[in-house]
Amino acid sequence: MKPAVRTTIAAVSLLAAALPAAGAEPDGKEVFDRHCIHCHGPGSEPGTLQLARTRGQERALLTERSDLVPEYIEAVVRNGLKAMPAFVPSDLTDVQLEALVQYLTAPR
Amino acid sequence: MADPLPPGVTAEQMAEALEQFRRIVGREWVFTDEGVSSYRDPYTITNDENRYRAHAAVAPDSTEQVQAIVKVANELRVPLWVVSRGKNFAYGGAAPVLSGSVVLDLSRMNRILEVNEKFGYALVEPGVSYFDLYRYIEERGLKLWLDVPDPGWGSVVGNALDHGVGYTPYGDHFMMQCGMEVVLPTGEVVRTGMGALPGNNTWQLFKYGFGPYVDGIFSQSNFGIVTKMGIWLMPDPGGYRPYLITFEREEDIEQVVEIVRPLRLNNVIQNAATIRSLVLDAAVFTTKRQYYDGDGPIPDSVARRIMADQEIGMWNFCGALYGPPPITDALWTVIRDSFSTIPGAKFYFLEDRNRRPDILAHRAETMRGIPKLTEFGFLNWNGGGGHVGFSPVSPTTGEDAIKQYRMVSRRVREYGFDYMGLMAVGFRELHHVTVIVYNQSDPEERRKIDELFTLLVREAAAEGYGEYRTHIHYMDMIAGTYNWNDNALMKMHERIKDALDPNGILSPGKSGIWPKHLRDGGAA
Repeated sequence: MKPAVRTTIAAVSLLAAALPAAGAEPDGKEVFDRHCIHCHGPGSEPGTLQLARTRGQERALLTERSDLVPEYIEAVVRNGLKAMPAFVPSDLTDVQLEALVQYLTAPR
Repeated sequence: MADPLPPGVTAEQMAEALEQFRRIVGREWVFTDEGVSSYRDPYTITNDENRYRAHAAVAPDSTEQVQAIVKVANELRVPLWVVSRGKNFAYGGAAPVLSGSVVLDLSRMNRILEVNEKFGYALVEPGVSYFDLYRYIEERGLKLWLDVPDPGWGSVVGNALDHGVGYTPYGDHFMMQCGMEVVLPTGEVVRTGMGALPGNNTWQLFKYGFGPYVDGIFSQSNFGIVTKMGIWLMPDPGGYRPYLITFEREEDIEQVVEIVRPLRLNNVIQNAATIRSLVLDAAVFTTKRQYYDGDGPIPDSVARRIMADQEIGMWNFCGALYGPPPITDALWTVIRDSFSTIPGAKFYFLEDRNRRPDILAHRAETMRGIPKLTEFGFLNWNGGGGHVGFSPVSPTTGEDAIKQYRMVSRRVREYGFDYMGLMAVGFRELHHVTVIVYNQSDPEERRKIDELFTLLVREAAAEGYGEYRTHIHYMDMIAGTYNWNDNALMKMHERIKDALDPNGILSPGKSGIWPKHLRDGGAA
């Protein structure tokens, strides 16, 4: 059988995608949904619950806040805070971080 | 503070290596100075800031780039610390054991190469997370279920290689891996099992191929860099019914485990179920301060109040039934009747749990293979965010379970922490995972944690219990407990290490295995 070591793989690979490539034009909401929403989404996720406890219910959801500044977001993402670990720049690139900052600081 | 250099490597050597790495992967994928700060251990234990610090990180995009990096590392004797995604947070994250190492970060190698619905498997690169693979399967409507650990952002490859566990019938992740591609420390690429046979079509179907089965030596090791791995996926079982059984008394754990053993051995309990302690479950959605303002561990009266408030027990057995109703109904009858012999046992399906958030509603998703991060609400129990897992392996007997529970909980409480433990049910053993949550920004608390953990390891080893996995800070210590016959196993590891990695450049210190030039205090 067949020279092609993995015909199946080769075929599927063309479809199967690689995940969003760093470097492509990032969309801030997509970055948030990929990296942040699992802790900071609505409901009973750990980041949302903890922000409600420490900052108050009205500041529990990052996407509804108007008091976040770029430097703070960047510092927390790159250095972590309390239970939140840092995000490495290979996984969440500087360009993606900038898009995330714009998304979270956009006028509401 | 300047980023440290590894022992025996000059600044010039390191600079040359980094320059060559930039040529291989592109300048934007080599991180130094501030760019490497996010590779630190997020939940540090040591108070010595010079330990576990990377000098730089390099993020390749392909197996060929990994080979080229390894070649340079050999030429310039620069140690590489390999991480798949670096999300192994309770165990050190992306931080190296040996300060000054360059983190070889495989996050960008995130291709899902194949998902095969007919046979139920995926072939993935190490940067693929559980979230990624889950999304891929859902978007295509494939009739496959994942098995996920609690951190959904973790690497499918990395978790299996570190012997991680999940909660479906496919819960032993390394058992479910099939076929690897590995870059050896000297740069050659090998494929294991059937992958070594040109033209094969069974690489992800049959684990063993021909000859010695070597996949195991690339798990929890520093013998090679896994760049592709097959993982078996469960076909949609055609029915799913998660359940929760609560028990009122601490001492019930003995009887619970005696009941669990035959049911698990016979596959009546189908999945990698868990027996979870009161505070662990309570901590997912609430904090200690909501119930108790005092210092130290919560008293029994508070424990009783939490039980009533959250409708949970001192122990909570989280399991699930998989298959069409005629099968699950029959299994449930046996399970319910078996546990009914324990006074005070209460039985719940999802429809019996009305409060939200609720522990069964949360665990029901995890046992269904839906990746999440919800479990890590427990990090906020004390407000300090740090945690470390003490995870000895025990036979599935009531006698061992209650002995371990008493040994560990007594020490943990003695040091002022609440006992937050679970017993993950394997086929014949329990992973008794105790999570100790601490204030990572308090040096005194870190010192206490270190003293407590050391004590726990020693006391467990004295009773014949060993950890299955550990934080980078304890790798030497845990390896040292597996010392039967004058450390014969470690001596064998070291011979393999020397043969495969003659220059000792790959992940020095991983699992207590050091290259020749750094043994016997050479890394100090």
